[in-house]
Amino acid sequence: MSDLVQRVVGLCRDLRARGMTVTTAHAIDAVRALHFGALQSRERTYLSLRCVLVGRPEELEIFDEAFAALFGKQQAPAEGPVRVHRRSPPPEQAAVPSLSSWGQPGDEGEGGEDEQEEIKAASDAAAVAQKDFSAFSAAELDEIRRISARIARRLAARPSRRWKSGRRGPRVDLRRTLRRSLSNGGETLDLRFRRRKPRKTRIVALCDVSGSMDLYSQFLLQFLYALQGTVARVESFVFSTSLRRVTDLLKQPDYAAALRGLSAEVHDWSGGTRIGACLADFNRDYPAMIDGRTVAVILSDGWDTGDPAILGAEMESLRIRSRRVIWLNPLLGSPGYEPLTQGMQAALPHVSVFAPAHNLSALRALERHLLA
Amino acid sequence: MDRIAQLLEQLDREAYVADPAIATSLHLALELRKPLLIEGHAGVGKTEIAKVLARLMGTDLIRLQCYEGLDASTALYEWNYARQLLHIRMQEKDGHAAPGAAEAQIFSEAFLLKRPLLQAIAHKGTPPVLLVDEIDRSDEEFEAFLLEVLSDFQVTVPELGTIVARERPHVILTSNRSRELSDALRRRCLYLWIDYPPFEKELSIVRRKVPGASEALAAQVVGLVQRLRTAKLSKVPGVSETLDWAAALAVLHASHLTPEIVSETLGCLVKDEADLRKVRGEMAAGRLPVGAA
Repeated sequence: MSDLVQRVVGLCRDLRARGMTVTTAHAIDAVRALHFGALQSRERTYLSLRCVLVGRPEELEIFDEAFAALFGKQQAPAEGPVRVHRRSPPPEQAAVPSLSSWGQPGDEGEGGEDEQEEIKAASDAAAVAQKDFSAFSAAELDEIRRISARIARRLAARPSRRWKSGRRGPRVDLRRTLRRSLSNGGETLDLRFRRRKPRKTRIVALCDVSGSMDLYSQFLLQFLYALQGTVARVESFVFSTSLRRVTDLLKQPDYAAALRGLSAEVHDWSGGTRIGACLADFNRDYPAMIDGRTVAVILSDGWDTGDPAILGAEMESLRIRSRRVIWLNPLLGSPGYEPLTQGMQAALPHVSVFAPAHNLSALRALERHLLA
Repeated sequence: MDRIAQLLEQLDREAYVADPAIATSLHLALELRKPLLIEGHAGVGKTEIAKVLARLMGTDLIRLQCYEGLDASTALYEWNYARQLLHIRMQEKDGHAAPGAAEAQIFSEAFLLKRPLLQAIAHKGTPPVLLVDEIDRSDEEFEAFLLEVLSDFQVTVPELGTIVARERPHVILTSNRSRELSDALRRRCLYLWIDYPPFEKELSIVRRKVPGASEALAAQVVGLVQRLRTAKLSKVPGVSETLDWAAALAVLHASHLTPEIVSETLGCLVKDEADLRKVRGEMAAGRLPVGAA
């Protein structure tokens, strides 16, 4: 038995080294589990330890490996391997091109032969291009700001199901009212009310600034800037080949200053896109930023030069943890566009709102859509 | 015979087709007295486990169905205000209205509405099975609150004092993974992942649950469902869909699948418009085992 205790402790240590959370309490339970008749067969031992030590489906495979390493590979686990999405290996850096002159309405096909000429080659190496984003007129900027503000509020303001007691509100708070009435000998002189607490939603916006998004980047950055200025809890990121948090850069009193900061700090404008890898970075580096009250907004055309399987897996992780995933695709505004790129295909099942965002009218439509 | 084998047999007697993993998890949950967190896709029989466990232990099942906005007053307890008010009025009529006495009376256990969590804690007799269903649908605040209840199994009602469970209830939590549960909760629980069953297991489930379906039909039904699960549908049919469909076919006295009858009854199995179109397309292209016309 003591040999087994040692092995269990070894297993726990191994699992911890493989990134699983295994506490001392787990180890104690594991030993206790063995005590309760888990020793009769290898399968029993395996199932018992798995039940105690594993905490989420992604860990099943890790556990199987560690268990086999320690107790020897004998036969396949009882029910066969469990098929759960697991992080795929990093993408080989395929130099799949991204479009630079994409976006003139009417000329987008589904990747036909004649399109090849327009494709910018080997764009994974970030094409450094410092840009001046200040082409919008003051009136247009104002309009974008107003619509963005309304959209942001719509995304953020949502009555919570929880109640808050107070002097006013739509419903009588019986518990408090009764409590107070007791001090008047059971006479209800003073009604207490309750109302819904507003729910605080956070918005995390991830904006694609790669080459294929050239035409829209400035418009979307404007949107991002406006979003940031409206609601307190907005986090902004830009990505192309790498991910960069720009929340602080966008927190400037005027847009021009924000842009100066952006151009100075972000260096891979107009490079290629690795949406999947960037989302993976986001999920890994900012896990706490997404929770059940967070709306994730992705602004991208879905041209991914990485492995679509990675994008799919990362999108799934995003969807599971967030309240909603909204994908704004500028290309969706072009007549005849269909989201057929592999990346878009992999991402779509995990998106709850898929809408165009290429001009002001699209933004207005988005506002109406979110209202519904 | 040891306990796990015994459990397997008992589960089987209750018409629940289990496997060693399920039996082992239940066994450990009972022995270690820890909550068991069951995750898996919709319709693989997570909730059913709790029901069957309560039946085979001959104890009560107390179910707390979680939803967004579920709060402590719906899950734990609430005072019966209407009754309290009535009681105060009655006392006034009778003429003795010492406020202190009234308060002591109306904040007694008789005026307490016990919600599932308190029911489970205050339960007398053999410890009940407490099923916290679809915990992933509740808010994070509630999850934290539940964690507290699950670690102490005691509840403090300010007006009454602390109520402690005489014996810890057996707790089963289920989750569809619509959101990620906190690490704290996972750490507190034993874990069981239920995947879609392999062909043999699903076939025996259909045999047990839909005795009206012929052997050939059952095998065909399970074969098609298993095939559909590998197609990329947005709503993958669970075991409960298989059972619904098999039952529907049995009612229609189908002895085997034909494309016509599959087409007519597909709604039992595929419950999404886009999926339906996809499946019909596959069928028309002859890529699904739907039998001969």
